[in-house]
Amino acid sequence: MGHNRSLPEHLQAVGITKRYGGVYALKGASFSLRAGEVHALVGENGAGKSTLARILAGSTRADSGAISIHGAPVEIATPLDAQRLGIGIIYQELDLFPDLTAGENIVIGNLHFPEGRLVSFRRMEEFCRPFLRQVGLACGIRQTVATLSIGQMQLLAIARALSMDARILLMDEPTSSLFDDAAERLFGLIAALKQRGVSIVYVSHKMDEIFRICDRATVLRDGETIGTVEMAGTSVNELIRMMVGRELRMTARAARRVAGELVLAVEKLATAKLRDVSFELRRGEVLGIAGLVGSGRSELGAALFGLDRITSGTVRVQGELRAPRSPRDAMASGIGLLPEDRRLEGLMMRMSVLENATLAVLPRLSGLGFIDRRREHASLAPVARQLALNCASPAAPVRSCEEISWQAEAPAPPSVNPAMSAIFSQPVSQLSGGNQQKVLLARWLLLNPTVLFLDDPTRGIDIGAKQDIYRLIDELAAAGKAIILVSSELPELLRCCDRILVLNEGRVTAHFDAAEATQEKIMSAATNAGAGA
Amino acid sequence: MKRQFSEYRNDRPGGLSYILAGALLLAGCGGGTGNPGRKQLVVAFSQANNAEPYRAAQNAFLGKLWARQPDVKLVIADAQQDNSKQVAQVETFIRQKPDLLIVAPNERAALTAVMGQAMEAHIPVICLERDILQPNYTSYVHSDNVAIGRLAGQFMVDHLTKKYGKPKGNIVAMRGLLGVEGEINRDRGAKQVFDKYPEIKIVSDPVADWIQAKAKDRMTEVLRAQPKIDVVYGHNDPMAIGAYLAAKELGREKEMIFVGVDGLGGPAGGIRKVMDGILAATFVYPLCVDKAVEVANRILHEPGFQPEKDYVLESLMVTAENAAQMYEKYTIPGMN
Amino acid sequence: MPAVRASAGLLRRAQSLAALLGILLLAIAISPTASDGSRIFLEAGNLTDILRQVSLIGIISLAMTLVILTGGIDLSVGSILALSTALAAMFLTRGYTTHIAVAILAAVAAAALAGALNGVVIARTGIQPFIVTLASMIGVRGLAKWLTNNQNIDIGFGKDLAAGFAAIFREKAIVIGAYAGAAALFWVVLARTVFGRHVRAVGDNEKAAEYAGLPIRATKIWVYTLSGLFTGFAGVLYAAENHQGNPNAGVAYELDAIAAVVIGGTRLSGGKGSISGTIVGTLIMGVLTNMLRLNNVDSNVEMMIKAAIIVLAVAVQRERNGN
Repeated sequence: MGHNRSLPEHLQAVGITKRYGGVYALKGASFSLRAGEVHALVGENGAGKSTLARILAGSTRADSGAISIHGAPVEIATPLDAQRLGIGIIYQELDLFPDLTAGENIVIGNLHFPEGRLVSFRRMEEFCRPFLRQVGLACGIRQTVATLSIGQMQLLAIARALSMDARILLMDEPTSSLFDDAAERLFGLIAALKQRGVSIVYVSHKMDEIFRICDRATVLRDGETIGTVEMAGTSVNELIRMMVGRELRMTARAARRVAGELVLAVEKLATAKLRDVSFELRRGEVLGIAGLVGSGRSELGAALFGLDRITSGTVRVQGELRAPRSPRDAMASGIGLLPEDRRLEGLMMRMSVLENATLAVLPRLSGLGFIDRRREHASLAPVARQLALNCASPAAPVRSCEEISWQAEAPAPPSVNPAMSAIFSQPVSQLSGGNQQKVLLARWLLLNPTVLFLDDPTRGIDIGAKQDIYRLIDELAAAGKAIILVSSELPELLRCCDRILVLNEGRVTAHFDAAEATQEKIMSAATNAGAGA
Repeated sequence: MKRQFSEYRNDRPGGLSYILAGALLLAGCGGGTGNPGRKQLVVAFSQANNAEPYRAAQNAFLGKLWARQPDVKLVIADAQQDNSKQVAQVETFIRQKPDLLIVAPNERAALTAVMGQAMEAHIPVICLERDILQPNYTSYVHSDNVAIGRLAGQFMVDHLTKKYGKPKGNIVAMRGLLGVEGEINRDRGAKQVFDKYPEIKIVSDPVADWIQAKAKDRMTEVLRAQPKIDVVYGHNDPMAIGAYLAAKELGREKEMIFVGVDGLGGPAGGIRKVMDGILAATFVYPLCVDKAVEVANRILHEPGFQPEKDYVLESLMVTAENAAQMYEKYTIPGMN
Repeated sequence: MPAVRASAGLLRRAQSLAALLGILLLAIAISPTASDGSRIFLEAGNLTDILRQVSLIGIISLAMTLVILTGGIDLSVGSILALSTALAAMFLTRGYTTHIAVAILAAVAAAALAGALNGVVIARTGIQPFIVTLASMIGVRGLAKWLTNNQNIDIGFGKDLAAGFAAIFREKAIVIGAYAGAAALFWVVLARTVFGRHVRAVGDNEKAAEYAGLPIRATKIWVYTLSGLFTGFAGVLYAAENHQGNPNAGVAYELDAIAAVVIGGTRLSGGKGSISGTIVGTLIMGVLTNMLRLNNVDSNVEMMIKAAIIVLAVAVQRERNGN
């Protein structure tokens, strides 16, 4: 499908409305995309960005509204329609088939793949190779997707979209799991696509990226379009103000903490993916772990938490030698882990906020096997306040538990605040990503481990919740916890951590103090020895 | 724009019950009202298992006999060989307060108590063909299975004596549901005869629950295990026929004779099989229905009538000589 | 006050209750009338009949709810019931003991052991529950038949130990009381205990449960053991009611139990469901059956209608609650 450069509008969506039950995800939103531009779609969680992207990609149908491409009205009823119209989407929660191979994922349902009667691996290989190379993914066609890391899966999803010859590419938080150099490659890719006349819709929270690669930005709030601006003529604060509707102050890092006693000593730790990792951690310290996708950051957490077998080396917690062989062992040793994927590895989606949070400490809240409900509520209340657990449904006005508790004039526990109890009984599936993460954090706060390993805790979370989590990390460190923070965002590491460890292919290649660390130094340590992603 | 299924939320709560109501009214229309008419007498019959040909014949005859009497309404429930189901069905019948209850019990122990409940509710009860552990009935209409067993046993002994010059041979006994009076007594009667002859041995007695297909499977196993078989004594005709089919598949059907019990008429019944040379003999096991209907009618229509506790009916042997006449006698049109 | 929607569970429960009420009303409406004009369906005797008729499967369904909530399934309950009736009758009639309690204990213990075996194999080997309980369905039935030589063990009406046992345990009040007691017990366990929470968590997301340090193996072993144990108890009641130990009893009971659980709103994938839902599901099936029988609907038509109800119930609940 060719396009006409003289027409400024490539795609236009007007008056899009979408309801889920009684909740409006989108209320008369509009969006227009110029040919060959990179257009950011920004908003808080629940603002409607993902819904809009999905409507354009055909996986959801709008209740009302009109979409036109090059001025001609179109109906996008199914993803195949979108594919035919040249629209491709890369989802934030990737939609790959984990049990199939990389090659199969690319060619399935792909109108551009010349499918014969029999499966031909050679044909698949020829078709897929160029796209994999384009995105810089060095995996085999026959490699099962489940064995890839999240970052690699994301690259695969992009390769697939490219293979469908998309002229409009929708990207929903594409760099959320990519480390900087892979993100760089992506930006290069985007620039190249732009040159070829592909228009890109870039849904993201990351301000620096948006300002770097995008031409314009449309801001959504509560399902409505607030406005569209040229990046050149706007600022971060203005965008944020449009997104949030109020001024939001970014918290700065607290003054450098005085570290306490040694609580974790890891010496020459080796597992299947790690080699010779050694470091120390003291009370009140936040240790950051940086590295490329696949460098062993999550594997370190798995080893400490008893999920991966330790083949050699020692782990001492508060001086005692420990070799956790299961999460229960690890928890008994005082180690906790906030997993990378909160949906698959963290939350019970069909249980409530309260039930998820107290799940690991129930024995403490019960007598003779029976759960004491008052004690349960009472134990979560202060933690919820500390986390500013903000549980409103998307279309309702944003209020925090703190505000509510003040307004209801609740006396201190043991009496239970009815407003709070309504929030506690909400199913976690209805919460935004940020709040879901807070529920998981609440679980760990209740467990109160000595060492807490946070694996990419702010992935896919809106700005407000991110700041809350940074604040929490500060508070936890101040209260004497030892924290290990894995993150793909260098600014985040610099903001939160006292020291930063850099991993590369399972080894520690650098160890920086926060004061002396810079993004360039970290990048270089992460990529030296010449290894690619 | 089509409404998505998920958008039908918040529609009428209990939508499920509307769908149910519709389905049930439809079913209810077909099934009969169950309301006893004002001058109509209701006879409820709890049958153990419609799937057995013997019982299907009982149902057919009962229906035919009472079709001549418009003031009697016959309702039949099929328990499909399930004790709990039959108990529940009888309980439900008791609630409906029929004028007479007939029960063909699936198994003795299981049905005893509930038939007692029917008696306590002042419903006259006729126990048909199979007995129960206690006399919780007004009348028990049956045949003498021990006598049948003896008749059959004697026939087999005579056959063996003719074959070998003296009473010796291998017999396979194909047995029905073990908890049932008919099974126990047909077995016992035959053994009373066999026990007199030490050289007559029962080499195998598998259980086939009265069912032809199961008997065929059991017989196949026996044929593989036993090199020499002279007689197969099926405790009912379908099992004897099933055994014959198994032997035929393995080419050994000429090696032995097949004897059954029931002697039903019609093209699928045992008498026909005797005429066709598949069974050497069968023994008429009365359906007991004639007598039951006779007694029932007297109970229903004669207020002072005191029935006997026990009505025993006689059996007859059917062999190639008299098969054709018996076939005429015991076949009603429309029987299969 | 933020706009908080009623939890999906409450909505589903209200809906199945509405369905039960609907069926009750229908049953009353089409109930045949007795000679004095009263509706037969509403007679106390009939209503308690219904309760008694659903009690055994009802008890099994309660335990099955927990099993299904962990994302598993137990196909062996019918066979375990047979084993239990056989053992109870054996102990009572062959003089192994002079106490009714010992016979009951033997039957229930054997059943619980069979359940525990299921649980241990499932928890330790990771083989799918469908397969493990399918195997024990076959094996336990074989054991029951072997122990009794494939014969029924009659319990007479005399004055002996066995008859005394039967007289007590076939009483309507005892049977219904047993069901009610079991229902209360399971409700409390699921809703109020740590174990109950663990059961739901394991079924909801087993990986996350592992990451939260929950005792997954112990939880699974317990649910299958409870399933065996309570099925054993149902078997004891069955022996009393039918006056026999029957190694061929309970065929297809697992399907009836699963049907009740599923109609009551519990998902076969685990994590979502309730005891009250199962009770409602059991009652719906019981009332339905009784209504059809009172109106002399052919029992084969009865089965077809039940099949339709099961599919409808699940379909209506699925689309109503999204995913």
